[in-house]
Amino acid sequence: MVQVILDDVSKSFGAFKALTDVSVRIAERQFVALIGPSGCGKSTLLRTIAGLDDISGGRIHIGDTVVNDLPPRLRDVAMVFQSYALYPHMNVEANLTYALRVQRRPKTERRRAAEEVAVVLGLEQLLDRFPRELSGGQRQRVAMGRAIIRQPKVFLFDEPLSNLDAELRVRMRAEIRALHDRLKATSIYVTHDQVEAMTMADHIVVLKAGRVEQQGHPLDLYDRPANRFVAGFIGSPSMNFLPGFIGEDGQSVALDGMDVQFPLPGRAEPGLPVDVGIRPEHLTITDSTGSNVLPIQTSLVEATGAQMIVHGRTARGDIVTVVVNGRTPLFHGDRFGLKVRALDATPGAPPALHVFDSKDGRAVAR
Amino acid sequence: MLRAMKRYTLSIVAVVIVGIYLFPIYWMYATSFKGPMEAMLYPPTLWPRDMVSNHWDVFNGRDMPRYFWNSIVITAGTLAITVTVGTGSAYALSLKRNLWVEVALFSILLMQALPPSLMVTPLFVMFNYAGLLDTPRLAVILALAGKSLPFYIVICRSAFLGIPKDLREAALVDGSSNVGVFLWIVIPLARNAILVAATLLGIQAMGDYVYSASFIYDQKLQPLTLGLANYVGVSKTDWAGIMTYSSIMVTPILLTFMLLQRRLVSGLTAGALK
Repeated sequence: MVQVILDDVSKSFGAFKALTDVSVRIAERQFVALIGPSGCGKSTLLRTIAGLDDISGGRIHIGDTVVNDLPPRLRDVAMVFQSYALYPHMNVEANLTYALRVQRRPKTERRRAAEEVAVVLGLEQLLDRFPRELSGGQRQRVAMGRAIIRQPKVFLFDEPLSNLDAELRVRMRAEIRALHDRLKATSIYVTHDQVEAMTMADHIVVLKAGRVEQQGHPLDLYDRPANRFVAGFIGSPSMNFLPGFIGEDGQSVALDGMDVQFPLPGRAEPGLPVDVGIRPEHLTITDSTGSNVLPIQTSLVEATGAQMIVHGRTARGDIVTVVVNGRTPLFHGDRFGLKVRALDATPGAPPALHVFDSKDGRAVAR
Repeated sequence: MLRAMKRYTLSIVAVVIVGIYLFPIYWMYATSFKGPMEAMLYPPTLWPRDMVSNHWDVFNGRDMPRYFWNSIVITAGTLAITVTVGTGSAYALSLKRNLWVEVALFSILLMQALPPSLMVTPLFVMFNYAGLLDTPRLAVILALAGKSLPFYIVICRSAFLGIPKDLREAALVDGSSNVGVFLWIVIPLARNAILVAATLLGIQAMGDYVYSASFIYDQKLQPLTLGLANYVGVSKTDWAGIMTYSSIMVTPILLTFMLLQRRLVSGLTAGALK
């Protein structure tokens, strides 16, 4: 059974088109992440699902109901806001049970529900406190609790972790996902952080300027980006792009200004100018200057401990980033060579690179 | 050293200014405890020589309970209309921002700019035609509510604007209706601003003279301010009596102010710091 279906959803503010023909099918119990750069319409899309914004075209189904014209309170969705939006004049218990109070549930039931949720989220000691007396992490938990106490059809998250410090963010990431699994909930999660999306979601929808660029399983997006935008957006550090062109056989690609040529898994129009995308983790540093080695000059070395991130420039001046596991003795100005790893361990496997039409950015020769 | 001097100088200046402002109030209370002779003494005594309290006599002899009742009716009526009508309008004006809202706000502020002494004549004519002068206290209440609403709306609107939109939306998603959001989220959060505006306007209504004097001829329906004016005679004026009357009239207002003081201050500064 499909829980949430967005059918060609469009939304415009005057002449500005915030969303254009967005179609997404969200299965029951799925965790879906909506990602994209700021202003891409991901929050607007979430708000249209919640009913806080009307849509200008298309249809939104929740369960078996078309909810286009239903106000938020009749949609049976719960939302966690980026600002948490805790009611400042109510204590934690009153915040948690606000929705139940609106439904006029008896007091004993509300008390019991608040206690259950408090146990789940570790808020037992805080029920009498007011939001201003809580830390950021605690407020975040109360905001979560306010959503789960209602057992809604769908959970909506609007960048719920962006106000937390890095350590807490990583912990809450795992907790939210665990909570989702335990509650057997359907969740839609907006974030601009692709790591959050990759680690939490079953299905990622990448938006740009109000359009869906690509959607699918996180690793599919990573392995087979449909276009240059998605390729650059998913993965950290982001993918390197070097200009090149398709070889005369239509089955290989060459890099501009370098004596390198790589075989392609598919075919493309011979001579087509392309951007060759190579992930930093798919490059290896080598001393040799043999065939298919990219000569690079180091410009910056960043150490994270487990890995080192080496930034360098090609002879043409294009920037290339490499992730090296362990240590490397490279310093600013050092010259080195780069080899592209094979896609997998089978003999004769093609190199792990992606080719995009440099005009429209679409992936070619896949 | 210089800095310390600067601080002391400023403090002294502040004390002097506050003293100048508060002296009349002191003088009023002091005189109310003097006899009619001592009140007219020259040079005046700073502290009553022999304490006489005429308060009880003035309160009863001057029919103050009746005047008080009329003042309370007028104040309560004015506040009831101002708060019910004003809170709703302020909320409506805080939700949207467009040309019509600007026009509405401008005309509201224009109303505020017109002094009662200017408004009183046209209002008198209007009320006369409408037959409202048969219920003169209601006429005063309507006139005062009209005068109070602009200030009330402006204060409340800015308080409503300070309430994050997320809170209202969270309540909507939580199952509230728009009315529920207004009653249980917006009003409680703007409580202090509403209280401040209502208190200040209540004091203003309590002190109204122009409208009451123009609309209420029946002494049985007149408020405290007119009762005070009745003291001023053509040939002689009972200053001790006036001061006694004034002190009785002002004390409940001052007490209310002191009781609400902490909330008033926090209401006036709320939203100043984000």
